[in-house]
Amino acid sequence: MDLADIIRDLGALETSTLAAISAAPDTPALDGIDVEVLGKKGALTGILRGIGALAADDRPRVGAVANTVRGAIEAALAARRAELGAAELTERLARERIDVTLPGRPLRRGSLHPSIEAMTQIAEIFEQFGFVVHESPEIEDDLTNFQMLNIPPDHPARDLWDTLYVDIPGHLLRTHTSPGQIRVMQAMKPPIRALLPGRCFRYESVDASHGFEFFQVEGLMVDEGVTLADMKGLLDEFARAMFGDGKKTRFRPGYYPFTEPSVAFDVECLVCGGPGCPACGRSGWMTILGAGMVHPVVLQYGGLDPERYQGFAFGMGPERISMLKHGITDLRLFMENDVRFLEPFR
Amino acid sequence: MRAPLSWLREFVDIDLEPEALAERLTLLGMEVRGIERRGLAWQNVVVGELLSVEKHPNADRLSLTTVTLGAGEPLSIVCGATNIAPGQRVPVALPGAVLPGDRRIERTEKMGVVSNGMLCSGDELELTADGDGILILAPDTPLGVPLAELYGDVIFDIDVKPNRGDALSIVGLAREVAAITGSAVRMPSFEVVESGPDVADRLTVDVIDAALCPRFVGRWVSGVRVGPSPEHVQMRLLAAGVRPISNVVDASNYVMIELGKPIHTFDGSRVERGHLVVRTASSGERLVTLDHVDRALDPDTLLIADDHGPLAIAGVMGGAASEVTDATTDVIIESAIFDPVSIRRTAFHHALRSEASLRFEKGQECRLARLGADRAAALVAAWAGGSVARGRVDTAPDEPGEDRVRFRPARVARILGADLPREAQVDLLARVGIAVASPAGAADAKVDLVIAAGSKPRTVQVPAAATLEAVVPSWRRDLAIEADIIEELARVNGYDRIPSTLPATALPLFRPSPLALRDVVRHSLAGFGLREVVTHALVSPDHLARWSWSAPPAPADGEGRIDGTPITVTNPLSADHAVLRQDLVGGLVDTVVLNRRRGRDDLALFEIGKGYGRVADAPHEWWRLGFALAGAFDPPSWNRPRRAADLGDAKGVLDALCATLGLDGPEYTALATEAALHPGQAVTVLARTADGTVGLSGVVGAIHPAAAAAWDERAEGTILAEISIRGLSGGVPSVPRGVNPSRFPSVERDLAIVVGAGETAGRVEAVIRASAGALLRSVELFDVYAGAPLGRDERSLAFRIVFGTDERTLADDEVEAAVGAISAAIIDAGGRIRS
Repeated sequence: MDLADIIRDLGALETSTLAAISAAPDTPALDGIDVEVLGKKGALTGILRGIGALAADDRPRVGAVANTVRGAIEAALAARRAELGAAELTERLARERIDVTLPGRPLRRGSLHPSIEAMTQIAEIFEQFGFVVHESPEIEDDLTNFQMLNIPPDHPARDLWDTLYVDIPGHLLRTHTSPGQIRVMQAMKPPIRALLPGRCFRYESVDASHGFEFFQVEGLMVDEGVTLADMKGLLDEFARAMFGDGKKTRFRPGYYPFTEPSVAFDVECLVCGGPGCPACGRSGWMTILGAGMVHPVVLQYGGLDPERYQGFAFGMGPERISMLKHGITDLRLFMENDVRFLEPFR
Repeated sequence: MRAPLSWLREFVDIDLEPEALAERLTLLGMEVRGIERRGLAWQNVVVGELLSVEKHPNADRLSLTTVTLGAGEPLSIVCGATNIAPGQRVPVALPGAVLPGDRRIERTEKMGVVSNGMLCSGDELELTADGDGILILAPDTPLGVPLAELYGDVIFDIDVKPNRGDALSIVGLAREVAAITGSAVRMPSFEVVESGPDVADRLTVDVIDAALCPRFVGRWVSGVRVGPSPEHVQMRLLAAGVRPISNVVDASNYVMIELGKPIHTFDGSRVERGHLVVRTASSGERLVTLDHVDRALDPDTLLIADDHGPLAIAGVMGGAASEVTDATTDVIIESAIFDPVSIRRTAFHHALRSEASLRFEKGQECRLARLGADRAAALVAAWAGGSVARGRVDTAPDEPGEDRVRFRPARVARILGADLPREAQVDLLARVGIAVASPAGAADAKVDLVIAAGSKPRTVQVPAAATLEAVVPSWRRDLAIEADIIEELARVNGYDRIPSTLPATALPLFRPSPLALRDVVRHSLAGFGLREVVTHALVSPDHLARWSWSAPPAPADGEGRIDGTPITVTNPLSADHAVLRQDLVGGLVDTVVLNRRRGRDDLALFEIGKGYGRVADAPHEWWRLGFALAGAFDPPSWNRPRRAADLGDAKGVLDALCATLGLDGPEYTALATEAALHPGQAVTVLARTADGTVGLSGVVGAIHPAAAAAWDERAEGTILAEISIRGLSGGVPSVPRGVNPSRFPSVERDLAIVVGAGETAGRVEAVIRASAGALLRSVELFDVYAGAPLGRDERSLAFRIVFGTDERTLADDEVEAAVGAISAAIIDAGGRIRS
């Protein structure tokens, strides 16, 4: 082979390879060409094998031509590869198209009961103010449920708590969480900031706003110098946390034998905002809790000296709070557990 | 308490609009629950005068009247009543009128004669009790005026609290109004015109037990004519919610509403020798009460009796035999004070809680016995005629003086957190009739001050100069200690005038919340897709029998066992809620049934709640988690076939829960002995904490088909679990340990192990774990196969076994040695390795 032959062969290889590249139907065909022409045992190498027979002066010339050919083929391969890749991707994307409007694969979603959630939320709010959660028994004795709370046997105030009694002598189903006040005071020393959530029972016919089983959250704060003004401030903060800024509140006299002075705490009607509607009995106000300064008799039963310690207690129904907050109109729904009712709560 | 505005105005001037008055009363502690406008129901009813009353031409029982309204043409109106005559003024419902009960009046033809409206009875207007005759109005009633303008009223429904028995009266509420307006209260007249014999000639009273009847005042009225009360009296009583009966009975009810003093009247001729005895009943005595019920009397019942026997249950209800009737001419008026506790017990015992007993049981001031007797006698004489015998029978004529309650003005301010100077306190108390005196004696003297009374009394000695004395009006029996005066000051001053501050006292020490672990469990389960419910703790005896556990496993560490006999409510509301539950699954089954009845078949529910039992004579309560899976656990969809929840789903929930709580993987043991659960599809579960204590323990399984069939077939197939968890009763969640992930790869080997009938996956896994050696990281069953080429009773269990160590990459021969050991152990245990 002489120089001219080699250069001609290189030219021919370039021409035929470029033609093959532009005719290649897909990426594997290009890969084949790549190996056949440029590979270790490819055609280009085969041609250059004849270079050994050439004169030393001619070799660099062949080398230069061969590099040009290789460069041209590589460029053509890359260009064709890019061209084919884009087409293949387009084709793949078209092939993989799905009906994106089909429904998703449903995930089972649980929910948390609104009574318990309201209790939890109340606890979280008061925990910010240093209150700690305690619990006390649901089966109480008459002494703690009534007498130590300044409600003697046969006292007319017992009408406020229609009671379910049990067959353990001297015991009943607690009618409120207030006996927890006594138990906390007996167990802890001031400063006391206690929150007592739990289930309560009453002898009460069931209707849209009454049940014989329900929950309550009791609060108790006792120390030297805790005032009614402090109670007002704290409960106003509670209402703001629970129902949002800008809701009017009012305190008015209430009656509980275990607090004096006793207070009822109202928030402006969340339905009508004040003018009066059926939801608020046309008063414009909704009562959310009862409260008052702990009665000296109760402090003494708690083992505290009423001349030294004073404080306040409050009690509220988480279901009532929940009803006001979520616009629920029937208390019975809470213990009925229709899943359609439970679904929205998280 | 229903308080008509017109009646209040008799005793106090009122300029406020009804709504404003209602709000002020509420803010003073007399909560107005409702405002009723009487007369709103009388549309187009006006005053007319009868010009003529003639026989209806075509009907014997009807009259044809002409009525003038003062102006315009007289109207002809047909009327069926017989008490009408020309010249009377009467209520006329014109065509278009609407009467109470939404009764519409139109122009009609009655037996051929046109009637342009209707003449109304008091009953039709709900103004008096008389439904027989037309309501005859006073002759000077203005003509043509709408009736609502003349007789319309505003009635406040006031929630009088149990400590304010004195306010269960118009006069008592008028005093509260006066505290708002600052005006004076006018009392009714207690003047009695007496004539004839001395009362002692007619009436004698012996009180056997003065503790139960501290005072009895009696009066005697002769020559009464019993009949209906004057119309204005009937109107008042009806407005106050009391049905008029007769002038004598109405007089006693009127006094009860006006003064708050229950009065009883007897027919004097029915009382043997006019001699009344106040005593407790002897056993075996009976009395037919006014409601015609023959009642057995127990020895706790206080009676008014005569020499023949019981006449009335004191303070609760009179007897039928001595009742005032139309034939009565002589009336005994009883105005007594009874022991509140005795009255309350008796009223409860006989289920007879009346307006009278409600007032007695709140306690009555001594003075009222005299005032009530005088007022009732005057009203009986005024409305029923007759003469009032001279004087009263009075078993305790000495009336105690006013009580004084010491208080410290500085302490008032310290409790309220309000700057309320001494002078302001004196002024505020004056508004509710409480005078204030300064203590007598030396300036440095000490005086006793009562800070607590009742069952835990306490008196302290304080410097006299720091105190004031509140002179408490006789009717305010609720004011006895310093705190009572503080409350009085707070309410009269107004709670809105007390500042609002945030507590500046010391904070308590940290204490973990007993809700913490419960919240972790609740949020985890909700995250797993379960729905929290709250079911009744009070259940039926059937529920208890069906769902209580016969042999529940020991509880988790520190948790209460299921223990004790069932606790029964002695006064249940219904048999469905008569006992306290000892399980959580029954309520969940009921919730499944309720929702399935309403078309929701796929349910995953949980509850964290208590069970209850009686151990010796003490109550015992324990916390448990219950859950129920029914229907599809994974929600079915177009891209996922429906699959009913099974024991595996429940175990998955428990496995995940244990992982969340930081417990080692739970062990499950077959359980075939609980009646509520399928004997072949139930297990006990036990998981331990890292330190080896029981962290979780309970039972889980499919509902027993027989139990479902007996309870409700909709419960069929439900998976139930009841679980004790350490900390559920008030503990804190465990602290997870940190993990440094190994830098060295682990090695997986899959082993298919063929076992015969009776062998369980759990046992095979245990063999693998026991024999795998220290390099074992995890064992996981990933396939179960039965069928050719295996033998008939054989199953192939395929496990993925992972080996590794934190120190190095494992060599092949180390892994092969471990697998060899496992294979040998499997073969030893009767299985074989499938190649």
